[in-house]
Order: sequence, then C-alpha cells, then structure tokens
Amino acid sequence: MLVGKIDRVGRIRTLHGDMGVWHKYTFGLAGERFFRALAEKGVLLATRCETCRKTYLPPKIYCPTCFAELTVWVELPPRGYVETYTFLYEDLEENRLTEPVAVAFVTFPGVEGGIIHRLGEVRPEEVCSGLEVEAVLAAERSGGLQDILYFRPSRE
Amino acid sequence: MERVAVLGAGMTRFMRRAQETGKELAWEAARMALDEAGLTLKDVECVALVSAPDAFDGVHMKGEYLADGAGATRKPFMRSFVGGGSGVFAIIHGWYHVASGHFDTCLVVAEEKMSSTMPHPQAAFNTIYDQFTERPLGVNLLWIFALEMNRYMQVHKIPLETIAQVSVKNKLNGLDHPCHQEGITPGPDLTVKDVLDSEIMVWPVHRLMVSPVTDGAAALVLASERVAKRMTDKPVWIEGVGWHLDSSYWTNRDLYYPKYVEYAARMAYRMAGITDPRKEIHVVEPYDPFAYKELHHLEGLLLADKGEAPRLLEKGVFNRDGELPSCPSGGLLGVGNPIAAAGTMKVAEIFWQLRGEAGARQVARPVKRGLAQAWGDLMQVGTVVVLGR
Ligand SMILES: [Zn+2]
Repeated sequence: MLVGKIDRVGRIRTLHGDMGVWHKYTFGLAGERFFRALAEKGVLLATRCETCRKTYLPPKIYCPTCFAELTVWVELPPRGYVETYTFLYEDLEENRLTEPVAVAFVTFPGVEGGIIHRLGEVRPEEVCSGLEVEAVLAAERSGGLQDILYFRPSRE
Repeated sequence: MERVAVLGAGMTRFMRRAQETGKELAWEAARMALDEAGLTLKDVECVALVSAPDAFDGVHMKGEYLADGAGATRKPFMRSFVGGGSGVFAIIHGWYHVASGHFDTCLVVAEEKMSSTMPHPQAAFNTIYDQFTERPLGVNLLWIFALEMNRYMQVHKIPLETIAQVSVKNKLNGLDHPCHQEGITPGPDLTVKDVLDSEIMVWPVHRLMVSPVTDGAAALVLASERVAKRMTDKPVWIEGVGWHLDSSYWTNRDLYYPKYVEYAARMAYRMAGITDPRKEIHVVEPYDPFAYKELHHLEGLLLADKGEAPRLLEKGVFNRDGELPSCPSGGLLGVGNPIAAAGTMKVAEIFWQLRGEAGARQVARPVKRGLAQAWGDLMQVGTVVVLGR
C-alpha cells in the first residue's frame, strides 16, 4: 500500500516555495568578547560565578544557576581533555565521506561546559576519553569558530 | 483554584537591533522582574515562556534555545505560542501553573529578536497564508491590515484623520516610557498631519500608523496567595483571563469587528465578576500594532459600542487624563513591537499602573482594575487578562 503511494509521487503536482528569509545573528555580549579574545589572543574566555563556584565555557553574562550577572572573566589556555568522541562517515546530505572525521567534546578542568570540535593530527585508534588535546589555531583569525582548526593530542 | 498574584515585572529597552542574543535579552527582563518581586531564581518553581515564530530569531525550537536565559535550567518549563497574541497568552499560561495549585511561583518570560530576520520579517509572514490561493500574490501582513482597516473605516465612516490621531496619542505617550525604541516617535510635536504625510505602505496604512520591527524581552513573576501575602502588601491579582480563536481564513469572518476579542473579553469578565466593563475597567492596554487596531480592539473589548471608539478618541476619553486611559504606556506604536514581548509589556504596564508605579505615565484617574489584550496568530486570536488590586 505504502509502496503504491510512493510509486505515484512523480505524478503528484507540487508548488515549490521557500520561506524567503535568511538571518544575521549577533554574537551577543558574551559571544562578542569570547570570539574577539580567540581571534586576538588565541585564548578561550570563560566567566565565573563566585556564588555558585562555577566557571562557564562558552562564557555567559549571567549565571544560569543563580541568575547573577557575571563580570569575572578568566582566560583559559586552549588545552583540554576529550570527554567523548565519535567518527562521522556521512556529511549533512548523507554523502559518504572519503575518510571518517573525528569529532570530540572537549572539556577543561574545573569548567562547566566545553567545546565540540573536530580532531586532527591523530590516528583513529589513538582517540580515547581522557586524551589530552590542544587547539590548533588558524594563522589568520576573524573571530569565529573556524579560528580553531581542530584539536590535536597535546604536545606539551 | 488558587488565587494568583503578579509580584514583579521587568523588561529590556526595546531596540531596532540589539547586540544581545535572545537569551541575554530574556535574562535581563527576567532578572529585573525577579528583583522587583524580591525573589531569586531559587524561589522560581517553574517557567512559562512565549516567543513568536522561530523564523524570526532564525533558531528552530527557540523555546529550548531561550530556556537558560529564561531561568528554566533544571526546572519545569513550557513554551506556548499564539503569534502576536502570545504576550498576553503568556500570563494566562503562567496563571494556569499557579492556579492549578501545582506551583507557588512561576516566572513568565517573553522574548523576540526580529532584527535577525533578513531581508525583512514580512518574508516569513508570507508563509502563514495559503500556499496556493494567497502566497503566489506575494501577500504579507500589511495586506490584511489594510483590507481590515478599510472595511472598518467604511462600515463606520471613520475619517483617516481619526486613525492618525491614535498614532499621535500613543507615540507621544511612548516618549515617557524609559524602554521606548529610539526614533519611534519623530518628535514631541508630532501632529496628525505628520502621520498623514508619512508614506503610504499599503493604502490606507501609512508608515506612522505601523509599529516597527523591534528586539526586546519582558517578564513577570506570578505567585500564589500564600507567597504573595508574604512578599508584598500591595499584591496585584489576576482576576480574569480569556482567549478565543476565530476562523483562520480571513475570507470567512467579517473584518470590521473582532468577534474573537469580544469572546475572549467576555470570558475574562465573567471570571472577574465584571458586568459593566466600561465602569469597572479603569485603564486599558489594547493591542495596537496598527493605529486602527486600538479602536477596533476597544470595541471588541466592549469598552465602546461598535463604531463608537473613534468618537470617544476624538473626545479625549482615551488620553492619560481621560475617563478610560488607553495605551498609557505608548503601546506598540510608541514603545515598540517585539511581538511576543510587546503583549507582556502591556501586562507589565497595567501592573505598574495599578501599583501607582508608572511614573510619568501614571494615569490621572484612580485605578483599581485594568485590562491588557493582545491579538495575532493568523489575525484571529484574542487574548485578555484583567488585573486588579
Ligand atoms: Zn551562580
């Protein structure tokens, strides 16, 4: 029955349309500062709530736990640990990738949150939870996520 | 059913383009409302959020996206949505949470960031119409407003000057609102002639009869009687709520009168025990995204007979020092129109008016009961709240 319906798809008339909008997203107060620091100094900025003793990365201007305004900014070196990871075999349109791409959730000691990014300069069998990694930054940076090319196993 | 009080209200400045993200705007308004209520996020038992179409912020599932800025992390959280009607629906939705007895406090948050939408939010509005019979014409919201405004004017023989007078009243009122959008009022000597001289967008709608595209957020703190009595000696109560839908086909309702607003109002009046709204409502914030809409809605709210609102406006009844001050905040025409947040701003205004805390906007007459109303969805929803002290 369902197959029969699918067979007839070609004969069903459709009208093509789209929503006709695109978007300009502002980085926000916290995001603006975070990506500027990444571009200009190659560091990760986090904000700290002294009341809740929590440090947020990416930074927020408010503490989601107690709602305080956060004004304490801390600089973190772009070095952390793989919390969990995966390998991508297909792109967004379900095209097969020539090589699987490693993606990890990278956490930083004493910090709530973290960064999801690609892994590079690493063999798939080397990737594991707890692996120490460092960000490889682009030489030319413009203040966006692409300023971090990928994370690789730490060399320090 | 528990009695529900409003303990605090907050809002951001309304802006043409905010640098803040939607979450940051939501936090600013929510934090202000909590501070005013004398409560902290720990005291908030649940969060009710409204925001209009995801297409504006360009974030799908915007409710979830906004949740942490709205204080909802690890709390019971619910988003509701009836388009432009959402801002007043927000307090109805929050009222349910507390009236049910299930929660003692509820933080109500409304956010809208329309400036993200390019080239214009109207392109997204095109898709609310029927794909086959309307969209191919390139229809946007202004069309329906123009057709409805013209029908309303024709039926009651309302001169365009009178509609322009609504713009003047609200835009001048808005100058006293600390959160008004910069430039929304051309100047303190704005005249009816200026409004009529502004460009025609979709006849008979002139530019100064339309509220602008705005970013902003607003918030309210609701509490049960138990908590309210502990926190304040001047509680403002939610006395009545009402909402109603008409057919979403604009061809299948008579545009000259918003029957759905009347039904929503009747529901709220019944709950509040109001039998003569013209005597028992002392200040009103009807939804005014377009100038004629304020008059249209005042009639739907039974605060004027059909066709009578323009006459009362001309007599000054709706001025801040009139018998029934209407849009003392400045409304959407005078403060701004961040869709969902605009309706909540109206509820906040009634709250501040009833507490005598509206500053330069405080109406002349004594007020014990007020009403806020919003409208929207596919131009066929009415949402109403009656607050009293
Ligand atoms: Zn905190």
